[in-house]
Amino acid sequence: MTSRRQFLGTSAALVGLGCKTGRSIAGGFVDGSYVMGHRLRDRGAFPAPARTVRTPLVIVGGGVAGLSAAWRLDKRGFHDFVVTEMEQRAGGNARWGENEVSAYPWGAHYVPVPGGRATLVRELFQELGVLRDGQWEERYLCFDPQERLFLHGAWQDGLEPATGLGAGDRAAFRRFAARMAEFRATGQFTIPTALEVGVAPSPLDRVSMDDWLRREGFTSPALRWYVNYACRDDYGALLADASAWAGVHYFASREPEERGPLTWPEGNGWIVRQLLRRVGRYLETNAFVHRIEPIGARWQVLAGRTAYLADAVIFAAPTFLAPHVLSSVPDPGFVYSPWLTANLTLDHWPRERGVPVAWDNVIYNSPALGYVVATHQSLRTESDRTVWTFYWALADGAPAANRALLLQRDWGFWAEAILTDLERAHPDIRQCVSRIDVMRLGHAMVRPTVGFLAVRDRFRRSRLPERLFFANSDLSGLSLFEEAQYRGVTAADRALAALSRP
Amino acid sequence: MAAVLLTSVLLIAACGLVYELVAGALASYLLGDSVTQFSTVIGTYLCAMGVGSWLSRHVGRGLVARFVTVELLVALVGGCSSALLFLAFAYTGAFRLVLYTLVAVIGVLVGLEIPLLMRILRDRFTFKDVVANVLTFDYLGALGASILFPLLLVPHLGLVRSALLFGLVNAAVALWSTILFRRQLGAPRLLVGAGVIVLGLLAAGMAGANRITNLTEENLYADDVILAKSSRYQRIVLTAWKNDLRLFLNGHLQFSSRDEYRYHEALVHPGLAAVPGARRVLILGGGDGLAAREVLRYPAVESVTLVDLDPVMTQLFATHPVLTPLNGGALTSPKLHVVNADAFVWLETPGDPYDFVIVDFPDPSSYNLGKLYTTAFYRLAAKHLSRSGLMVVQSTSPLFAPRSFWCIARTIAEAGLRTYPYHVYVPSFGEWGFVLAGQRRYEPPAALPPGLRYLTPATLNELFDFPSDMRPVPVEPNRLNNQVLVRYYDQEWSEINR
Repeated sequence: MTSRRQFLGTSAALVGLGCKTGRSIAGGFVDGSYVMGHRLRDRGAFPAPARTVRTPLVIVGGGVAGLSAAWRLDKRGFHDFVVTEMEQRAGGNARWGENEVSAYPWGAHYVPVPGGRATLVRELFQELGVLRDGQWEERYLCFDPQERLFLHGAWQDGLEPATGLGAGDRAAFRRFAARMAEFRATGQFTIPTALEVGVAPSPLDRVSMDDWLRREGFTSPALRWYVNYACRDDYGALLADASAWAGVHYFASREPEERGPLTWPEGNGWIVRQLLRRVGRYLETNAFVHRIEPIGARWQVLAGRTAYLADAVIFAAPTFLAPHVLSSVPDPGFVYSPWLTANLTLDHWPRERGVPVAWDNVIYNSPALGYVVATHQSLRTESDRTVWTFYWALADGAPAANRALLLQRDWGFWAEAILTDLERAHPDIRQCVSRIDVMRLGHAMVRPTVGFLAVRDRFRRSRLPERLFFANSDLSGLSLFEEAQYRGVTAADRALAALSRP
Repeated sequence: MAAVLLTSVLLIAACGLVYELVAGALASYLLGDSVTQFSTVIGTYLCAMGVGSWLSRHVGRGLVARFVTVELLVALVGGCSSALLFLAFAYTGAFRLVLYTLVAVIGVLVGLEIPLLMRILRDRFTFKDVVANVLTFDYLGALGASILFPLLLVPHLGLVRSALLFGLVNAAVALWSTILFRRQLGAPRLLVGAGVIVLGLLAAGMAGANRITNLTEENLYADDVILAKSSRYQRIVLTAWKNDLRLFLNGHLQFSSRDEYRYHEALVHPGLAAVPGARRVLILGGGDGLAAREVLRYPAVESVTLVDLDPVMTQLFATHPVLTPLNGGALTSPKLHVVNADAFVWLETPGDPYDFVIVDFPDPSSYNLGKLYTTAFYRLAAKHLSRSGLMVVQSTSPLFAPRSFWCIARTIAEAGLRTYPYHVYVPSFGEWGFVLAGQRRYEPPAALPPGLRYLTPATLNELFDFPSDMRPVPVEPNRLNNQVLVRYYDQEWSEINR
């Protein structure tokens, strides 16, 4: 029956009865939590607490850092604590959504296959069955084909530009790879970054990646695009706005990929789901922390309409929020990159030229970062519907101006911008998309600017309050799962040590 | 004017014969037994022509108008006959009824043409000249059509467009007759209008023939397309030449009815006959029911679960009168349970183990299909296998695609199973390979079920012997995150299909 209906449908389209005008696309903004943040910034009023709860420990923030702290405490047999989350759902940058087609990420969507030194990530993945008897579970490794790039009118294999390169470009890519291998061999670029040897910040912290490339004579436009893409993708920053330490870190901290990364339809939301199964009972959602103040030897944490009286606090929310809720904490002076992510629901796959659709699909010279196919990890052999997660770091221009732009423009503006971008590679994309949901992230991730490590170390050396432990990954300068988890776990260990002291 | 009218005789005679040939050829392709089909079609057609000639006596005045009307009707019915017959075959169970009705209608109309024309020409010639001229051009037209049909029309236009083309010729004759006799006609404009509409419809049919009935496929396939269906998942095309039916899925040959027994006996029996008392059998893919037919030869088998993605495919092979004889009605056997699901996803749900699992998927020509040939897939499939059970996997050709074949074997071994590769010669495919796998040691069975056309216990042992040109080659296993098989397959087949 289906085939007959399709047959009729085809003939109707043939004689021009099909709808020719662009279809209407549903969708809207899915954020809104910035309202609370802005009230805090503008010193607005918050409701007085309706109850007081006595607890040894409060973890502020239910993202990967906060949940990892909870995971650690729970495993160590400590069960008397609360995790507060301002949103309706936990996850932070690893938040996810789901519709009738697929689950999909709103932010972080993969974890590279962890190296031997990322022991905590390996421990968690063993527990979650991702790593079993030394083997990575095949269905969690990114399926083939992993990446492709739209260049010169067609999709090519891999993200490194390959088609239409001159001999000079190719030599530049080879020399760049060799330089990165040298940095890798020094062992100074590790994940987690806290394991990095040497006390003084790397000298690369003092120059931008752009300057470093020039100094090293890397002028190939294709190579510069590639490195710029890496900085936009991982830091939301252009070459000129990221430090050379961060730029090199991207390439030198990991072994050239054994076939990874690890990924799931909902991205790192999958890990959050597993963590919530274990520690969800400690979680308080819709609990916006607007004040933390010392009361005697304790901390009073005002979260929503609850006042927690705690012996210790793990501050796992973004560190820039700390001075707004804690009068004794200086402004860390970090820069954050604004982002926009969108999930597009497609009724059918668009036309295209070149190699078949991959997990990560990037358009050369696009201001955005491309799209990730949420259904890529599906075991199905056939699917006509799919969800694409579109990533766009607003890297060009001042972060504050871009944040203002995010708030000013309506949904239609962003939907149109996204479709226009995709149209270059998929001329009929408008006929395929039925829904576009957009999330605006004003402070999506910390930006490892020139001198970030020095700024960070100054913050850490400043007089920070006792029994309060910072855990957000922004203290690493890199918004990575491994960093968040490491900082969450070590903060949990330090909190436990502090709590056991009389 | 006489010359124009005699040309019309020549053309309409050719048209009449073409419709007859189209119907006869189509019936032969679709139903087989061309002697019977041509005999009955010609008989029906001639008889109907007689009826038409007899009916012409009832046409009194308005001869020309009647003639033009008849021409337009012939143009429409004859021109669309071929397309109608294909559709009837694909979508209804009453192909013969449609066939003979159409032949009769066209025959009656064609039977009316010549008597009417002779009467129109009566005033311009003597009677003996009318008879001589008209019949001469009539027979000449028939000769032309009978030569054009096999040499030019069928090879270059195919059946659907040949009929449409001659429908256009009929309509053209109608149109110029109207113009020629416009003074004798009561309402020439009406007839011209009707003629233009018929011409337009047929021309649109010609232009849209590719899309509508997929005549492009007739050019792609060596034989005539007798059935073409698009399901959600694939393009199903059945072609026929004499008694050879061939099934193509998305352009890939799945079987030829002449030698599919070699493939399916080799797919099923080396494994299933070696699992004595096998009760539960699982078939993944194989929606044509041909593997199921072989499985049902074992009386001990109590249930067969067939998991095929495409309901259109299983429905077609369960009900279509041309296809059910091929699989012996296997898909409607009470022992058989059809599940229309994506095999990988379906296997995710645990269930009772199977004694024999047949994995008969399309070749790994895309990353999507390649997922069904990965270590992850075989690990999952192995969980559905009883301890003494066996699994057999369709594994492409060890001769044409040795790296693909040995990659599949390596992948199954990597999933923790013992593997026993073998191969068979299937004329329409060439050398074809399979991999048997299980937790246990395998010995070829000493006995086979009765009634096989190809396999004997003696030939069984030979299947497992790989001559030098099909020896194992070094390959990587195929994994979800590194689908080497899809790349091997693509390289190897692109080298062959120049």
